[in-house]
Amino acid sequence: MKDFALMMIGAALVNNVILARFLGLCSFMGVTTRIDTAAGMGLATTFVITVSSMADWAVQHYLLDAFGLGYLRTVTFILVIASAVQFTELTIKKVSPALFQMLGIYLPLITTNCAVLGVALLLVEGHMSFLNATLFGFASSLGYSLVMVIFAGLRERLALADVPRLFAGPPLGFIVASLLAMAFMGFSGISTG
Amino acid sequence: MSPEKLAGPPQEFLAPLGGGRREVTSGGAYLHTVEGIARVVGVDGATAWLEPEQTTSCGSCASAASCGSVAGGIGTVTDRIAARRFALDNVGGLQVGERVVVGVAERALIRAALTAYGLPLATALTAAGIVESAFGSDLATMAAMAGGLLSGLLLARIIARRLSAQGELAPHFLRRARPGETCGGKDTT
Repeated sequence: MKDFALMMIGAALVNNVILARFLGLCSFMGVTTRIDTAAGMGLATTFVITVSSMADWAVQHYLLDAFGLGYLRTVTFILVIASAVQFTELTIKKVSPALFQMLGIYLPLITTNCAVLGVALLLVEGHMSFLNATLFGFASSLGYSLVMVIFAGLRERLALADVPRLFAGPPLGFIVASLLAMAFMGFSGISTG
Repeated sequence: MSPEKLAGPPQEFLAPLGGGRREVTSGGAYLHTVEGIARVVGVDGATAWLEPEQTTSCGSCASAASCGSVAGGIGTVTDRIAARRFALDNVGGLQVGERVVVGVAERALIRAALTAYGLPLATALTAAGIVESAFGSDLATMAAMAGGLLSGLLLARIIARRLSAQGELAPHFLRRARPGETCGGKDTT
């Protein structure tokens, strides 16, 4: 249990997908103008990353490793992720059309989110068990969602601030993102502490 | 309750935050509304059918007219927007082609996301954790996780039906959009 907890803290905070690995930066800057949209995107990405982590682990172990097709990993994972997004979209549509109308906008954006592919490749390189791999994907995506919501909250406040015109909008966003990344570097002390 | 609390926040905090809006209810509580722009594509008696406007840069570039992802067909942007068509009570006498601002409560959006994504994940991970500790086999854990995911989705379906019956997931008409108004609450004119 302690190993699982440490692995999840490491994936979510110490090696944060956005601020330590620099993956998913386009959605980090693009969907964080409001907290509600950032939270919606974060939850959708959490679901897709976790489901695709399960599928990617199974494909890697029972197909690519078993038949010596490791060189097809990236192409296969892209296909698996696209399928996971389509599965999610169809499932949500079937489960509740009302939910689909409200949340469906985020799902097509996830297909092109490099964080999803990055996490899949990382968990394969880690040679983990199935549950470890799934929890690693889940924790990584929780870290992604956490940073998205924090950054969206900061940007909502910054929208009200009186800043020089040259810095308004994305320039100030990048400066705040770099400060946030430095703050998250503080978590790296956990691994040696 | 302190006098400051009763008086509410200063006026500048009531300004739109990135397109969202804060309404003050009769009870003094703040109801956060997520706004979006939709176009009326049909009127059927007392019901108006609307389609949300494309909110990304895709479709607005110079090549939009000849772009395959915009032109139409299965899986295209046009197809996705048509799939998100929704009905609204035509209380404002809406006409086909009009652009209107619709909104849903911010809490409803978060609750919907937690129901659709959070609940199935929670059941899947719980089931996998229990089976992993009992059997320690990857295949058994995979089966348990798949089962947990399916049961979570079924549970989400029941909760979504309840939320839908209470009218929490339905967007409501706020006002007609100003000419050139976009989703961010900005005028392009």
